[in-house]
Amino acid sequence: MVRADIVKLYRPVHTWIGITCGFALFIAFYAGALTMFQEPIARWAAPPAVGVAAVPLDDAPRLLELVAAAHPEAREEGITLHLRGHENEPARVTWKEDAPHQEGQPHEHVHWWATLKPDGTLLAKQEEPSELAEFINAIHMRAGLPRPWGSYFMGVVSLLYGVTLIAGVIVLLPSLTKDFLALRVGHNLKRMWLDAHNVVGITALPFHLVIAVTATAWGFGGPLWSAQESVIFGGKQKIVMKRDAERWRAPKPTGEAGVMMPPAQLLQRLHAQVPDFEPKVMIFRNFGDKAAAVKFVGAERGYVGDTSFGGVMLSAVTGDLVNDRARASRQDPDRRASTTIFALHTGEYGGITITWAYFFLGFSGAWLFYSGNLLWIETRRKKAREGGEVEQSRSTRLLGSATVGVCLGCVAGISLTIVSAKWLHGRVADLNHWHELIYYMVFLGSVAWAFAWGAARSAVHLLWLCAAATMAIPLTTLAALLFPALGMWAYGSAATIGVDAIAFVGALCFAWMAVATMRRIRNGPTDSIWSIRKAAAATPPREPIAVPAE
Amino acid sequence: MAGDIRPDWWSKASAGAILGLGLALSLVGLYAYLGPGGIDAPTGRYSLMRHLEAFVWIAVFGFCFLFRSGRAAWAWLGAANLIAFAALFACRFYFFA
Repeated sequence: MVRADIVKLYRPVHTWIGITCGFALFIAFYAGALTMFQEPIARWAAPPAVGVAAVPLDDAPRLLELVAAAHPEAREEGITLHLRGHENEPARVTWKEDAPHQEGQPHEHVHWWATLKPDGTLLAKQEEPSELAEFINAIHMRAGLPRPWGSYFMGVVSLLYGVTLIAGVIVLLPSLTKDFLALRVGHNLKRMWLDAHNVVGITALPFHLVIAVTATAWGFGGPLWSAQESVIFGGKQKIVMKRDAERWRAPKPTGEAGVMMPPAQLLQRLHAQVPDFEPKVMIFRNFGDKAAAVKFVGAERGYVGDTSFGGVMLSAVTGDLVNDRARASRQDPDRRASTTIFALHTGEYGGITITWAYFFLGFSGAWLFYSGNLLWIETRRKKAREGGEVEQSRSTRLLGSATVGVCLGCVAGISLTIVSAKWLHGRVADLNHWHELIYYMVFLGSVAWAFAWGAARSAVHLLWLCAAATMAIPLTTLAALLFPALGMWAYGSAATIGVDAIAFVGALCFAWMAVATMRRIRNGPTDSIWSIRKAAAATPPREPIAVPAE
Repeated sequence: MAGDIRPDWWSKASAGAILGLGLALSLVGLYAYLGPGGIDAPTGRYSLMRHLEAFVWIAVFGFCFLFRSGRAAWAWLGAANLIAFAALFACRFYFFA
C-alpha cells in the first residue's frame, strides 16, 4: 500500500508538471490526433494537378524511360512510381532534385512530377506539393516552435510528462479500487471532473507511457545521439553505424546499360517472393543500369510497424530479391523492438480500427490536460473561499485565460489553415508559407483575446470561432461543388469525404461546448473563473476582471 | 524505517534530471556492449537505445522523490552513476582498446 505521506509528496509533482506542461501537451495531443489522418488531410488539400493524365501501369515503362533520359539526376536520387493513385499523388511518377544550394543553408529539394501526353511524349513539371499535412505534424512534434529548439522543448515536456504519469498513478493508487470507474455524476461537479480525469488517465495509461518514452527519445534525439557518441562509444559510433546504413543502400551502378523489367512484372515478382507485403510506391535507383534496384515501400500484413522504414528491394533487371532485411519479419530483435515502440506511438498497426482508436486516444489526452488545469483552478477557488477570500487570485485568472487561449487557439488555427488550402490555392505565391502564417496569427490572436476578455467570456467566443472554422472545412468543399468558378475542388473518395464528415461532427461538438460554456458562465457559481456574474455579486470587483492584452 | 520524507523539490528533481540521464546513458551503454550479440550485434540496437534511455531517465526521475532527502537522492544516484560509468568505461576500453 502506498503510504499517505508519499501520496502527499507526489500530488504537487503531478499538479505542477501538469500545469506547466499542459499547454504544450494539449497542442501535441490535439495535432497528433489529427495526424492519424495525415494522409486523408493531404489528399483533401491536394489541388488537382493540371494536365496530369492517369498513366496505366502498363505504360509506366515508357514514362520511366523518358524521365530517366531527360532527368539524369533523378536516376541517382530515385524515381518514385506511385501505385495507389491518391489525389495527392496524381502523377504516376515523381522525384526530387537538389535545389540550388546556398552556403550555410540546409540542403533543400525541389519536387517534380511527370506524365505522358496523349501523343506519348513526356510532360514533366516542377511543382511544390502542399505541405499542409506535414505542417500539422510539425505542430504536433514541436508545438509550433522552430527547430531545433522546439524539439528540445518538447523533449523536456515529454520527460516531465513521463514523471507526471508516474506521480499521477502513485497519487491515485490508494483510492484506485474505491474510485476507479466510479464516475460520480451529480451536484459535485469537481468530483465528477476528477473521476473522469482519473478514469481516462488510468485506462489510457499504457498509451501515455509509450507516448512519453518515445516523445522524450525523439525530442532529445539529436543530443542523445551525440551523448551516445561521446559517452558510450567514445567516438566510434560512426564506424558502428556505417554497417547500419548499408542495409538501405542500393547496389552501386555498374555503368553498363541493362534492360528494365516492367513495373507490373516486378510487382508479380514481389508477390511471388514476399506474399504478405503491400507496397505503396516503388522507388527506382539507377534506372537503366545493369545494377538498377527497385525498393518497394509499404507494410507487411500482421506486424506492428507498417512504417515507411520497412521495405523490400528487388533487382529492377531480374526481379530477384536484393535485400529484404528491413521488412518486419526479417528485422533483428532490437530493430523489431524499436520499430514496435515507434509504431505504438504512431498507431501504425491493426489497420483502420487502431487509427480511429488513436484518434480518440489523442483527443482524450488533450482533454486530460484541459481538465487537469480546470481542476487545479477550481481547487484553488475552494481553498481561497475557505480562507474567506471570494475574489479569484490573479494567477488563477491568468492561468484560466492561458488555458483557454492556447488550447482553443490551436484548434481554431489548425482548422483555418486547413480551410485556406483550398481558398488560397492559386491566389498566393507560396501557399505553404501562408499555412504557417495563418496558423500563428489565429493562435496568437486567440491567446491575446483570451487575456483581454478573461477565461469565461473568451472561452465562448473562441469555441464559436473553433466551431465556425471547423465547419468551414465541409462548407468549403460544398462551395467548390456548387460554384466551380471559385477554382476550388471536391473529391469523391471516401478518405477526402471522411475529412469533411469528421470536421462537420467536430464543428457540432465545438458548438455544443460553446452553448454549454455559455450556460455555465451565466448560471455557474459566481466566484469561479467560469462566471461573468462576478460584477453583479455581493462585492464589487476591486480590479477589472479582464486583464489587458499587454 | 518509515522515516519522514523531506520534500526537497529542487535538489531531488535536479538529481533525477541529471543523474537520471547519466544512469540512462551508462546502463544502456552497458546493454550495447554486453547485450546479446555484444558490440557486433545487428545495428537495429542503435535505434532502440534512445527509447531505452528515455525509459530509464523517466523512471529514475519519476521515482527519485521517494528518496528521504535531496542529499540522499544525490548520494545514492551518484554512487549508482559511478559504478555504472566505471563498468561502461571498462567495456569501452576492453572492446575498443
